[in-house]
Amino acid sequence: MTDPSLTGRSDAGRSDAGRSDAGRADTGLDGVDLDRVWIGVAAQVWRREPGWLERLAGRLLRSPALARALLTTPSLLLPWLIASIAVLAAGAAATLGTGQPVAPLLAPAVAAAGIAYAYGPGIDPAWELARSMAVSDRMVLLVRALAVFAVDAALGIVACAASGAALGITFGWLIPMTAVSALALAAATVARSANVGVAAGLGGWAITILGGQAATGKFTVAVQGSVLVLPYLVFAAACLAAVLYASRVSKGTS
Amino acid sequence: MNIEITDLTRRFGRTKAVAGVDLEAGPGVFGLLGPNGAGKTTLLRVMATVLPPTSGRLRLLDRDPGAYGPRREIRRRLGYLPQNLGYYPGFTVCEFVEYFALLKDMPAARVPAAVAAAVERVDLGVKAKAKLRTLSGGMLRRVGIAQAIVNEPELLLLDEPTAGLDPEQRVQFRALLRDLGQRATVVVSTHLVEDVGAACTEVALMDQGKVVFHGTPGELTARGTDGGTGDAPLERGYTAVLAQARLAQAQS
Repeated sequence: MTDPSLTGRSDAGRSDAGRSDAGRADTGLDGVDLDRVWIGVAAQVWRREPGWLERLAGRLLRSPALARALLTTPSLLLPWLIASIAVLAAGAAATLGTGQPVAPLLAPAVAAAGIAYAYGPGIDPAWELARSMAVSDRMVLLVRALAVFAVDAALGIVACAASGAALGITFGWLIPMTAVSALALAAATVARSANVGVAAGLGGWAITILGGQAATGKFTVAVQGSVLVLPYLVFAAACLAAVLYASRVSKGTS
Repeated sequence: MNIEITDLTRRFGRTKAVAGVDLEAGPGVFGLLGPNGAGKTTLLRVMATVLPPTSGRLRLLDRDPGAYGPRREIRRRLGYLPQNLGYYPGFTVCEFVEYFALLKDMPAARVPAAVAAAVERVDLGVKAKAKLRTLSGGMLRRVGIAQAIVNEPELLLLDEPTAGLDPEQRVQFRALLRDLGQRATVVVSTHLVEDVGAACTEVALMDQGKVVFHGTPGELTARGTDGGTGDAPLERGYTAVLAQARLAQAQS
């Protein structure tokens, strides 16, 4: 714990810089603030160059902080993406083999899990610290959730197209996916646990599929029944309202 | 005054973690002492704008943290070290400090130099590129302090900052605190009275959610002359005040 303004130097990199005043005079360094010079050097040496994706996100979001937060989303990291692709690829293969729209049925579940793990006290270790930051945690949550949703929607479309599912079915699941993702996000935010979010999303989706099957005898009604579009949208809006309420900072009295 | 607290209460269900606290603090190092469960961490979280108060008045840096705009301004000027610092194991020291510098809304161009200065101030230059998962507990604590001071905060809130530091590091840390306290309001929550004696200009002692003493370390020491237990004079003052507060509580 060394304060450069109070002491000489601490580490090897600066030991030369901190040598005696006599040494400075010999080398014509009188009046040079070597601590300041070292900080400048260290800033250059330790600086992390953002990749093209982070630079692009920073420009689009007009915030380098949000860009960095976006790229550290747990469910956008490579292992998670590989797992999502594997699940949807298996769904596409099952669709090809059975003729049932398995990929559209799997896509909302994958997105729900990803969104529950996008942010929050259950998964973000520095959550308490992040809550005290100027860039609001709600913005971080929003940006990450939208990004995960967009990525999973794109993967789902590819999986459905690859498995030859009809375009009507392909786009029919996007609205259920919105509702299931919103449910997962709301449960994770209210319960402050990503696992609760995943359980709520997957449980809710399973109940919807099984309920449709019980009522009509078809699993696929959950993604094919146009009568469900409005209830899905209303449900998604209610869940998003719950997220906004749970992530507010109440005014208290001041 | 950088901190103005009037009759502040914070409840968790039926539990009153902070029960009607009044406090004012300007620049300097302010020690928040008290036994476990006294309400220090909750009060610090309220001051860090992590938790809203249940009731009472709170003003930080002459602003109202209840409103969005002023709260954002406060957070730009705030440094906070939570009791349990969560960290991203795959980040390096510099990446971690940089991430929070960005989240504090610092101009991106200023961030690399600010990160280097903060990392140097906590003497972690040799570990600047090390992953956090490879660091010891004391080093992680210093990483936490680095992220707290990276924006040169006007209000610095530190919850148990010396936990895990070795004696030499604690001495250096107190020097850093005194330096920071010349410009900013530094609130240090601790149960180590020697940290308070060495670094703080003012001290408040909390017990059962209330402030039971507010004064200088010298005044706290003086309270121990006719009672109290402990090896050091400040410890005797601490225990004497606590005993008096608990007696008064029992009588009421």
